[in-house]
Amino acid sequence: MTSRLSRMWPILARVRLSSVLGSRCVSQTPKSNASGAATASDLQPVSPAAQDIHGHAEVSPFEKNPDFHGFHHQDSFVDEWNMRLAFFFGISVAIVIGGTFIHYLPDHGMRQWARREAERLIKQREAYGLPLMTENYYDPSKIILPSSGEE
Amino acid sequence: MLKVLIPTIMLFPTIWLSSPKWLWTETTAHSLLIALVSLTWLKWTSETGWAVSNMYLATDPLSTPLLVLTCWLLPLMILASQNHINPEPISRQRLYITLLASLQTFLIMAFGATEMIMFYIMFEATLIPTLIIITRWGNQTERLNAGTYFLFYTLAGSLPLLVALLLLQQSTGTLSMLILQYSQPCTLQSWGHKIWWAGCLIAFLVKMPLYGVHLWLPKAHVEPPVAGSMVLAAVLLKLGGCGMIRMMVMLDPLSKELAYPFIILALWGIIMTGSICLRQADLKSLIAYSSVSHMALVAGGILVQTPWGFTGAIILMIAHGLVSSALFCLANTAYERTHSRTMILARGLQMIFPLTAVWWFVANLSNLALPPLPNLMGELMIITTMFNWSPWTITLTGTGTLITAGYSLYLFLMSQRGPAPSHIMGLSPFHTREHLLMVMHLVPVLLLITKPELMWGWCH
Repeated sequence: MTSRLSRMWPILARVRLSSVLGSRCVSQTPKSNASGAATASDLQPVSPAAQDIHGHAEVSPFEKNPDFHGFHHQDSFVDEWNMRLAFFFGISVAIVIGGTFIHYLPDHGMRQWARREAERLIKQREAYGLPLMTENYYDPSKIILPSSGEE
Repeated sequence: MLKVLIPTIMLFPTIWLSSPKWLWTETTAHSLLIALVSLTWLKWTSETGWAVSNMYLATDPLSTPLLVLTCWLLPLMILASQNHINPEPISRQRLYITLLASLQTFLIMAFGATEMIMFYIMFEATLIPTLIIITRWGNQTERLNAGTYFLFYTLAGSLPLLVALLLLQQSTGTLSMLILQYSQPCTLQSWGHKIWWAGCLIAFLVKMPLYGVHLWLPKAHVEPPVAGSMVLAAVLLKLGGCGMIRMMVMLDPLSKELAYPFIILALWGIIMTGSICLRQADLKSLIAYSSVSHMALVAGGILVQTPWGFTGAIILMIAHGLVSSALFCLANTAYERTHSRTMILARGLQMIFPLTAVWWFVANLSNLALPPLPNLMGELMIITTMFNWSPWTITLTGTGTLITAGYSLYLFLMSQRGPAPSHIMGLSPFHTREHLLMVMHLVPVLLLITKPELMWGWCH
């Protein structure tokens, strides 16, 4: 496979987009004073009869509504307001206000308290000369073991 | 709990009573407000245990991040579906959103359940809307097969779970997790007890999925429309993880030996599914197998039952949920334009959609667990705890990490780099909606870097 690739690579590397498209990728829109950007539909001619699976013609929605935001194909008013509300509730409310709320939540799970308390206890025990921690977690005198004779 | 559950149930009137023009706007806004309110669950001021809202619904540090993820995901699903559902008649659009909202309701009740039977019922209940989404709105004939695999794999695992739970109820008198955590550890020796142990866990291992029983996942993730894939990858797999962590509390002494084969299967699954990813031609299938790989790591982390294992599992579940859902959304944007999931048909996209290439890049970097993202933190904690359990696991987990990086970069390079074929030159530009969708997936992942303690669970 690598030998095939190495034979084909010099040819492949020389393929340019221009040779595929038949023209160089320079804006073909007529010169005008307005600095209009080439829209997606300029690049390939669209046959109006072409229908895609969804039943509408293969025409870009940006033709009818250049400010199409992706929310509503037919009504540009609804499309724009859907976009505004989605951004407002999604980013301004949920992420920004929600994020601020989370940031200012009190000590989560008392972790910072635990750290402060540990340091306080260490300081206290060192001041009194007590051991920092007892070796036994449970009091050995309270543990009742079965005698080893029975089993 | 009710402050989120009631608004979620009220989503149904919102869906059915909205005017057709404003349906999607209103449901998006409503679900985002629910997501905002759900953030109040993240307040955890005690040191241990459950914040009990009533006897049957409660939140604890395990379920809270998953609940917030569920509530966050519904608006994202609605945003993602808005375009491809658009041509359908309005009542079908309403039905679609109703299915998503009902999934949300069941998931909230599942994650918030205190009683194991409630968890089980909600676990099963989530199957129904998902099955309808896969089989009714999927795009290829294979969706019927996918639905069958999805349903029967899960049911075959969960019937033993029902029997096991009923046995547990019989012996302890209760199935409330609030009480069971204080019950005596069972000294179980007979074969019947071992089968009971397996019965408790198999359902969740199938759901996660564990490597040997994972075959439903590539089908069920590939066939549904984007919202189905999103909810499956982001939340439904985590139901399995959550269930396993809950059950582990009660299964203790047996798990020391019996977990062994499942841990090995999980580790092997990381390597195998990662390698399968490198051979995939179908974009969604690659992301689906990558989900299996990450979840195998989570399963391994849970089965070793150490504090770091649980913590790493929860972190990885949340991070993977957001990132995997983001990748499915990106795959859907390519699918909506080219109507094909084949990767070589949509390559060189960086030149055509430069900003989207940024989203592809960040999503793939997150998938390969780049520091300081939480994906890495979760993976690292699990790898460390497994190394502690047995040093030999590092060979498998290390190779797995390498392969994960390999297929994530492969996905990025295949889709973005290289010469763009001529047939995709005329693709429709990216919509504002799609950019918003990606931001809302990736910004929480980035924000979680700053406050990871929200996901650490109660073991840290």
